Amino acid sequence: MEKEENKPSEAIVEVITGGPLRISGNFILKDLKRGDESTPGEIWLCRCGKSSNKPYCDGSHRNK
Amino acid sequence: MEKNMSLSDDREYTNGEITVYWKPGACVHASYCYRELIEVFDPSRRPWVDMKGASTMKIIETVNMCPTEALTWKWNDEGKNEDVGSDQYNHVKFRRPELMEKPSSASAGTPVSVKVMNDGPIIIKGNFNLKYGDIEKEIKDSLISICRCGRSEHQPFCDGTHRKKGFIG
Repeated sequence: MEKEENKPSEAIVEVITGGPLRISGNFILKDLKRGDESTPGEIWLCRCGKSSNKPYCDGSHRNK
Repeated sequence: MEKNMSLSDDREYTNGEITVYWKPGACVHASYCYRELIEVFDPSRRPWVDMKGASTMKIIETVNMCPTEALTWKWNDEGKNEDVGSDQYNHVKFRRPELMEKPSSASAGTPVSVKVMNDGPIIIKGNFNLKYGDIEKEIKDSLISICRCGRSEHQPFCDGTHRKKGFIG
């Protein structure tokens, strides 16, 4: 019966207009393409399809 | 500590759909439960609650008659508990809110799953806050699919366009 101070929402997923997807908080990232699994705490994922460091944003959306 | 002591006498019973909580210390023997629904609440049986004895709706109706917090109930699907109205007298959120906060099943405390699909979208599953534009939404035990190819017509969500365009990444 240990009560934890957990809120129902522990992760925030933010779609940045004209930019990447920011995810922060308590989440597990699984990259099925590259076979990676991690708990980074905060990431910016590419949404434009142009990054050369996928799945992460590398700022390429600005050069479209 | 005191709370833990009193909780230790408690029992809970589930039929997969709802959980009924029994707090013996609170019972004043008003006997609505077994007069109304002996098939479920039979004090002469052990365990005295048989969740298979009646339909979920009938059990809820009977639990709501209990004049104390001895019998309370909630949906196992945590999301449904949000919408329960105050006419449901003995729902735990009105009678025993401490049971609402208890991390249960796959809700609080479970990390959100973020999957980068092979040449496809980002699938995010669990409980989280979603922000886009001016919108902020709480997503509960559900999933969303975010476009990664930049071509979806339903931004920011995936609409399957990546397949047509042969997205690789």
